[in-house]
Amino acid sequence: MADAGLIALSAGIAVGITGMASAWAEKEIGSAAIGAMAENEKLFGKGLILTVIPETIVIFGMVVAILLWLNM
Amino acid sequence: MLLPIQMTRVLIVGSRGALKDTIELLYRLEAAHLIDFSAEEEGFSLGAPLPESSEASQRLLKLRSLEKDMGVDAAEVRGRMDVAQIEKDLAATIAELEVEITSVTESRNKLAGRINELEAERAVLKGFLGIPLDMEMYSGYESLRVLTGKVRGDPSVAVRAAAPQSEVFLSDSGDFVAVFVAKAQADEAQRALAQFGFTEVPVPAKSGSPQQLVARADEELTALRASLEEAVRKLEELRERHAAFVKAADEHLSIVVEKAETPLRVGTTEYAFAMDAWVPTSDVPKVEKAIAEGLGGKVHLEALATAPRKEAHASHEGEENPKSLAEEAPTKTENGRIVKQFEYMERMLSTPKYNEIDPTVTMMITIPIFFGLMVGDIGYGIPFMILGWLGLRNCRSDEWRTISTLLFYGGIWATIFGVFLFGEMYGIHFAEQPHDMSWSSLLGVQLPHEIAIGGFEIPLGIYSKLHNVKPILYMTIWIGLIHVFIGYVIGVYNKAIRFGLKHAILERFSWLLIVIGGALLLLIVVDAMILGKTVELTDLRILIAAPLIVVGILLAYKGEGAAAILDLPGLMGNVISYTRLAAIGMSKAGLALAFNTIAFEVLWGHDFLVPGSNSGDTIILIAVLAIFLVGHLTIFILAIISAGLHSLRLHYVEFFMKFYEGGGVDFKPLKVIRKYTIEKNGVSE
Repeated sequence: MADAGLIALSAGIAVGITGMASAWAEKEIGSAAIGAMAENEKLFGKGLILTVIPETIVIFGMVVAILLWLNM
Repeated sequence: MLLPIQMTRVLIVGSRGALKDTIELLYRLEAAHLIDFSAEEEGFSLGAPLPESSEASQRLLKLRSLEKDMGVDAAEVRGRMDVAQIEKDLAATIAELEVEITSVTESRNKLAGRINELEAERAVLKGFLGIPLDMEMYSGYESLRVLTGKVRGDPSVAVRAAAPQSEVFLSDSGDFVAVFVAKAQADEAQRALAQFGFTEVPVPAKSGSPQQLVARADEELTALRASLEEAVRKLEELRERHAAFVKAADEHLSIVVEKAETPLRVGTTEYAFAMDAWVPTSDVPKVEKAIAEGLGGKVHLEALATAPRKEAHASHEGEENPKSLAEEAPTKTENGRIVKQFEYMERMLSTPKYNEIDPTVTMMITIPIFFGLMVGDIGYGIPFMILGWLGLRNCRSDEWRTISTLLFYGGIWATIFGVFLFGEMYGIHFAEQPHDMSWSSLLGVQLPHEIAIGGFEIPLGIYSKLHNVKPILYMTIWIGLIHVFIGYVIGVYNKAIRFGLKHAILERFSWLLIVIGGALLLLIVVDAMILGKTVELTDLRILIAAPLIVVGILLAYKGEGAAAILDLPGLMGNVISYTRLAAIGMSKAGLALAFNTIAFEVLWGHDFLVPGSNSGDTIILIAVLAIFLVGHLTIFILAIISAGLHSLRLHYVEFFMKFYEGGGVDFKPLKVIRKYTIEKNGVSE
């Protein structure tokens, strides 16, 4: 199929950019969470949750990429 | 059963003389969670510590400083000591130890100080070693100035040019210089020296040749070091002899102090005391009987109220209701041995409230399943099980035990999914595959696609993680829907017991309807988008789903306001979030495929179309196995982090948000934990 290359590229972009977005968001939350944990170790659980919340962004990107791939 | 144990608020009053016995009794019963006395109540003041407190505190302080001097390590103390024995020996042993240890540490510190001094002196003298002059020759001149110090390079020529009336001695090693210069020209000489990086070393006030001085210092140092070693050895000896006693006495005294300071949490008047406490409702008769019998009628227990589960609903935001009994009661959960292993995972987030379900049981079931689904490989599952089993046997700390628990139970599921659902080991399928190598092709044997157990054909591998992405994704979305559904069901229950049925229906049941409607719509979406069927608007599934969702949204809007509408996309996100179960499995399978291809197909020359084919080179085989080992070890470690963390996260974020509030108070009864001591005459043993 002639569009195969474009689809593959799009899938790559979908995962790549959402990955960066997750990383950026997690970086900010993560550093704040570590700061909070340094003051109160009990916040580990909450910090972990808040830190991994943006992970969903890249999962969405990946779902989009998989759908693209399946339609190739 | 799933709710925390019911609590009763009790008031214990008695004559002040019986306070000590009451405290002892409560410590033995281990059933009373004391409420700190608030100084607001009229006529009452805070109790004073029992008289033994101050002596015990002082002794404890001494003991701790001795412990520090001796460097007692808790890990090397074994066995338990009888409390009566400790009481008997305590005063004498502390006094004896204090004398011995103080003298030893004092002499040790003195020796260490003197050694430091001598070493510094010796370092200074070292520079003068290379110059053939006695120490007294460096001082006592009227018209001469002596400059001694370290240099980089030979400054003789420069110094003589700048200050003709000078004499320069350079040490044999060339890095130390002594310059004798007429006072008038001292500044010039110093400037010339500065160019050679001169740092002045003052002349020590000694006499004799530097060689002799250094030798004498060395001699003294050797003697001092020997005595220091002797002191350290003596200290070690003391530690070995007394560590067990000191640790046990520390524990005993800490308990004495803790008990003696309990009155600080109790309200007292001149003749009476009153303490507020939470006692598990089922234990109230036991405590009441023990108090009546044990304290001869001087103390009385009054059960005030059993904490209800229901509490007032904060109808407007920002409105603070006074704390009800239900909100104040501490949480005590009674989980079985296996469930308890998962408790720490739940407590890491927060302690459940007194009036909500403790979700540990649900975590125990689904966390290992999710973990297993993400790993899904017998090659990792069995090592996980072994590692977890070893951890559970050997580790004591909560953190490691939790990780071990996760690995052990997760490993069991990983093995089950690995054998039956994915049929693979180290990312390679058992049975022959059309596009990939398999253990069958690699080893040149025919491994079956299924096994027959008791007349049933059990498949060994239904899906391939990389080739059947669609069905696995579909499956994970259903897992998400079911998990979220269970979350809302628990949510309905929690809301119903806390705030009543009306709130439960508006705030949680509404979402249940939306989830059911969403599940029906998912079927349609799959039909339309993936299977390519045309879907009519009169499809029965749409006819059922649409009203469910509309009613659900209306109810939720009534219960929670506009925020409910904003939560809708969030719910969809939550469900899609479960696709990570497939995604993480896929990423691991992809990594494994890469390592396996490099190792077997590229290096070892295996062609999956020809069973058992390889280049047959033994040296290459070693390299192949090394790559295989390192690669899969990497995936193995990544699996602990990603699969473990993500299954936790799916619970904390997607699941718990549907029902869990947390923020409860742990039930902490008055009780003592003894590690190094044993109370032989006491009732508690």
